[in-house]
Amino acid sequence: MLLNQFLLLAAALFAIGVYGVLARRNGVLVLMSIELILNSVNINLVAFSAVSATVGGEIFALFIIAVAAAEVGVGLAMVLLLYRNRRSIDLTEIDQLRG
Amino acid sequence: MFAQAETVATPEVLWWALVPLLVLAGAAVLLLTVASLVRRLPEWLPAAWTIVAGLAVLVSVVPLWNEVQDDGARSFLAGAVGIDGSTLFVTALLAVAVVATALLSRAYLTREDLPGVELYVLLLLSAAGGVVMASANDLIVLFLGLELLSIAVYVMAALHLRRIQSQEAALKYFVLGAFASAFLLYGIALVYGATGATGLARIAGYLSTTILLEDGMLMAGFGLLLVGLGFKVAAVPFHAWAPDVYQGAPTPVVAWMAAGVKAAGFAALLRVFVLTFGSWSGEWQPAVWGLAILTVLGGSVVAVVQTDVKRMLAYSSIAHAGFLLVGVQAASDRGTAAVLTYLGVYTLLACGSFAVVTVVGGAGDDRHGIDAYRGLGARRPWLAGAFAVLLLGQAGVPFTAGFVAKFGVIAAATEGHSYALAGIAMVSAAVAAFVYLRILVALYMEDRHLEDDDEAGAVEVDPAPWGPRIVITVSVALVLVLGVVPGPLVDLAKDAVPVLVGG
Amino acid sequence: MLGQYLPVVALLVLAALFAALSFVASRLLAPRRPHDRKLAPYECGIIPSRETPERFPVRFYLVAMIFIVFDIEIIFFYPWAVAHRGIGLFGLVAVLIFSVAVFESFVYLIGNGALEWGPIAEVRQAVSRRFGSEVVRPGVRQVGLEGRDAGNPTIEGGP
Repeated sequence: MLLNQFLLLAAALFAIGVYGVLARRNGVLVLMSIELILNSVNINLVAFSAVSATVGGEIFALFIIAVAAAEVGVGLAMVLLLYRNRRSIDLTEIDQLRG
Repeated sequence: MFAQAETVATPEVLWWALVPLLVLAGAAVLLLTVASLVRRLPEWLPAAWTIVAGLAVLVSVVPLWNEVQDDGARSFLAGAVGIDGSTLFVTALLAVAVVATALLSRAYLTREDLPGVELYVLLLLSAAGGVVMASANDLIVLFLGLELLSIAVYVMAALHLRRIQSQEAALKYFVLGAFASAFLLYGIALVYGATGATGLARIAGYLSTTILLEDGMLMAGFGLLLVGLGFKVAAVPFHAWAPDVYQGAPTPVVAWMAAGVKAAGFAALLRVFVLTFGSWSGEWQPAVWGLAILTVLGGSVVAVVQTDVKRMLAYSSIAHAGFLLVGVQAASDRGTAAVLTYLGVYTLLACGSFAVVTVVGGAGDDRHGIDAYRGLGARRPWLAGAFAVLLLGQAGVPFTAGFVAKFGVIAAATEGHSYALAGIAMVSAAVAAFVYLRILVALYMEDRHLEDDDEAGAVEVDPAPWGPRIVITVSVALVLVLGVVPGPLVDLAKDAVPVLVGG
Repeated sequence: MLGQYLPVVALLVLAALFAALSFVASRLLAPRRPHDRKLAPYECGIIPSRETPERFPVRFYLVAMIFIVFDIEIIFFYPWAVAHRGIGLFGLVAVLIFSVAVFESFVYLIGNGALEWGPIAEVRQAVSRRFGSEVVRPGVRQVGLEGRDAGNPTIEGGP
């Protein structure tokens, strides 16, 4: 069935995104990975929406695009703040907070 | 699909039921606009504005509550938003947390000399997000509320411009929070795929009437939803952000995270799992069971070895999340009522405790080591006494409200025949009590000589400004009163059990 | 149906094979005699220990923010524009409420000086230098690096 191919694509994107968040040290690349996961969700939603002939999924995808933009705006602002204070966007250098 | 020329039936809007949300969001928008246009606002205005908005929400909840109790729960906006007892209960808790946080923030921003309109605007927006979550009747609305709540809190955590810890905490919170939202979304997408609906009532109807032959997608959806919400309420093993963020973020913001964000997160957990997936409780209960055990044990045990009081309180808030999960796991009306009671008590305890931490933290917000608390009982008897009461309340000592809360969730667990879970919860409550005792010992037993203090020159605690003073006094009084007379809160929580109304 | 993708797959396989073969061939055929000079990043000069700091004006970021504001706006305006005949007054009111919220953030951006750059900003700075800080709004510049170093504990390795 065609749905499976979309789901596989979304799952692959999701996995790549999760790998990126966990393995990447560069703050901006981590943000991009999160974006990748959100877009994999969008593919899922639109595919399900097309199969079940309801519009809920498509509307949801629009909202996710908007929220993702807002989220990335905030995320970039934070990476920028970090960059200005540390001259680096390497997330592994975040080490001020220890127990 | 969108290009229909004929008129579409537009959904009904119950404006009166939206009043708390409109007050919060409207206050935020208005405050931000006025602050952008008027050059010099009086310094007290944003805080006063926020407090008034919070109190207005509290007042507006009362008639809504009576309406809901008389006529039953409603859903409107084409079934996307619902209003029931639990919605209003959580809304009231959020309003209390907003007022407390605003009182603390005013003192904090003045002391740290920070520009502060944004903090109040974000606080109001985040509270509006919490209200949306508590009244969500649709997964889309739930997600929007969650993001409104979270994004505002990410920024609030970063607001201390001169503390790099604050910014690092915010970035950590942001990355892990966005990651968790993404998991939650994937879970929502899978549930939508399995059931063909995003409305909670429709999903619940579908799940209770249909036998799925292949439920793998639905199970994966449950799992991912649980992971996403578990991140937000800081359940072990998704708790890694909590201690760091609590330690780094400005203390009033931490009060809001502990009280407000947790209340909204559990409101969502109750709505999604207990209500919507209720007919499948056999499938998700084991997962919540494991999560609850890990969380109570993990939170209590790791708290013991901390030396930073903010981190200690962070782990203790993780342990509290575990107790709340014990109530969620029961998946019964009694469990839900116990969770709501616990949330009410914890809101008071968190606001009060972090108010004390705000005061002791001193200028620069970095005196949070347990050393800063040594001998506080001799130097600042009232402050230390209040902190002692709040800590005993968190430990769940009888005759404080904490006992009522813990008793409620454990009773709900035994009623649901989860004896092992109840036993482990009680054991870890005892372990957690050790943490609070450690702070108490520091407060009263280890009296440091004042001459040493003068030499160190840093450990004297400034007198509390009136904002934190009000928060501490009120929360201590309520913790004691509710410990002796728990009836009103417990009854309210019983009446507040959520119901799903179809749309 | 998927058969039409066959050439693409074949191309991908060929590309991967070619790349792998080239690597293997160079590994096998090329002589390798590494020594210090060869492994150093530069033939002469100091070996950089970290990236050089570069100046990065925050103003561009504010402009990007304005873009995001309108970006989000258009996401919801487009479906509304397509469907506005059907949903009538209700949709109009909803979209108006939405645009109030959107423009409110735009007002905040402008209030914080997101558009004050170029000649206006220079004039303002000149005026403020002459008459003190009465004219200048506390905004972007307050957040900037200037004047913050005293209170900023952890700039290390900076310029």
